Amino acid sequence: MIVEGICVVIAAYCAIRAVFEPKTLKKLPYLNVMNFAVAGAIVLLMPYPITICAAIAYFIGSTLESNAIASTFARLEEQ
Amino acid sequence: MIDLLAAIPIAAVICLVLFTALDIFWKLPKQGGVSGADVIGKELEKNGGDLNGGWMIGNIISSPDASAGTLLAACGYYVWGIWGAVISIVLVYIGARICADKGFAGTSGAVCAALIIWALTSFAGFPPESFIAGCVIAIFLVEGISTRHATRLLGKIWRKVS
Repeated sequence: MIVEGICVVIAAYCAIRAVFEPKTLKKLPYLNVMNFAVAGAIVLLMPYPITICAAIAYFIGSTLESNAIASTFARLEEQ
Repeated sequence: MIDLLAAIPIAAVICLVLFTALDIFWKLPKQGGVSGADVIGKELEKNGGDLNGGWMIGNIISSPDASAGTLLAACGYYVWGIWGAVISIVLVYIGARICADKGFAGTSGAVCAALIIWALTSFAGFPPESFIAGCVIAIFLVEGISTRHATRLLGKIWRKVS
């Protein structure tokens, strides 16, 4: 229960910090930590082999989203 | 068998050293690999941080690097032993390719983490779940507390090594 607790507390803390951070690009590091913690919590709370695929799909998907947000900002800056 | 509370801080230090060393080995702080990583690095520098450290954090955010490989290998090993770790390594490589990354950092991170976790759980009595918590704590120390200080430290390490 300690390990699950650590993941959930870190995820909640980073989610709150991301909500109160005004600049979108500076929210991304907090969201990345939250994604790490949520991916860990998924596996810890549902320890079945298929959950590995779910956790990796969640993590890669969220990384791709962060990549897309940051690339959009880069394109806007270029313009 | 080591107590879980004692194993978590040791696992956190191992994960932190492992993914920082591999990211620096694959030259992540040298430049922003994709345009998104570049703009995140510049934003963190504007905030009082270091550009090289900012690029490294930008690369960590924009594609699955060694830290993601470490976490996902730990998750795979916890659920299904060495087979789970092998599935994680393959999926991390595919994920890195999806994110327009070459995939070297992520895949090497997952392979090294799988080997270390296998050795420490088999011979030193570490519980496998301690590495999941350890990796989450390690990435929290890098990105979740103060990106300004973390980027400065990472930049200093990069300049010393390169």
